[in-house]
Amino acid sequence: MLSQAMFPWLLLTAAFLFTLGALGVLIRRNPLVVFMCIELMLNAVNLALVGYSSYLNSEEGQVFAFMVIVVAAAEVVVGLGLLTRVFSIGRELDVDDLDEMKQ
Amino acid sequence: MNGLLAVILILAAISALGVVFSSKTIYSALSLVLTVALLAAVFLVLNAQFLFVVQLIVYAGAVMVLFVFIIALLDPAAEDRPRIFDLRLILGVVAVAGLCTAVFIAARNDVTYDTSCTTQAVTCMHGYTVGSLAATGDTTADPFHTFGFPENAVNRAGNVQTVANQLFHTYVLPFEITSLLLLVAAVGAVYLTRRVAVGPRRDPQAEERWRDDLVEGGD
Repeated sequence: MLSQAMFPWLLLTAAFLFTLGALGVLIRRNPLVVFMCIELMLNAVNLALVGYSSYLNSEEGQVFAFMVIVVAAAEVVVGLGLLTRVFSIGRELDVDDLDEMKQ
Repeated sequence: MNGLLAVILILAAISALGVVFSSKTIYSALSLVLTVALLAAVFLVLNAQFLFVVQLIVYAGAVMVLFVFIIALLDPAAEDRPRIFDLRLILGVVAVAGLCTAVFIAARNDVTYDTSCTTQAVTCMHGYTVGSLAATGDTTADPFHTFGFPENAVNRAGNVQTVANQLFHTYVLPFEITSLLLLVAAVGAVYLTRRVAVGPRRDPQAEERWRDDLVEGGD
């Protein structure tokens, strides 16, 4: 079981990883790295879920974390499929350059 | 155990910095592999053995191999012009810093941790067991031993059994819906990566046509 002293630090680490991922989504222009930062945010949420699960002696957090992993895998498959499509029609991989949907 | 957990958490935070601030994409991917593996180690320390295995197989195995494969296929160039002193970047950093500070303050001060709720959580978790026992009239049996689990189920019984118990009883409908999600994702990936019409890669005419179609709104 997770000790009382370590639990806040685990939550702090999860918050740090999440905000780091959010920062990466905002400042990086390579869509592959943006996807990796989204994975980082999902992993941070998983860390918080499993931490609470261990702290409260309830396995529900682990079930939710499992669902999050499934959703993340599906998201990566579709996202990387989109990127290969964008690349195969000759576009440069740059999120600043791929802004047609704003127009 | 606490020291081990602290070391793993610090290493995970450092390698996460590498994901965001590496200039080369492949270094970001390898840093993410390290972060994911370290988080799997955290799960192991926290007695979540099932998620430890799932994290290693799905994330460090499947997802990251897919990432590295796509990086090798597309060969993206390193970002040579960092977006510093951009107004959007500054606003984003301020927003992220505010969010981070808020979460830090909440985690340190405002949230109180009441360990007396632990036994309540276990009771609620096995509430359906108590109910089914009451229906059959067998009230003498200890509900926590109905499935062979001791009271502190997550940490003493096999973690895989307890998680599977929740997954296939309480959360069986969401579990089945995830299979639909995976099917849709697989169909979408096959649709997106099918071979497109004619012309070599990096065909400027194809790019023009694509842009025109988008601007005209399809037709």
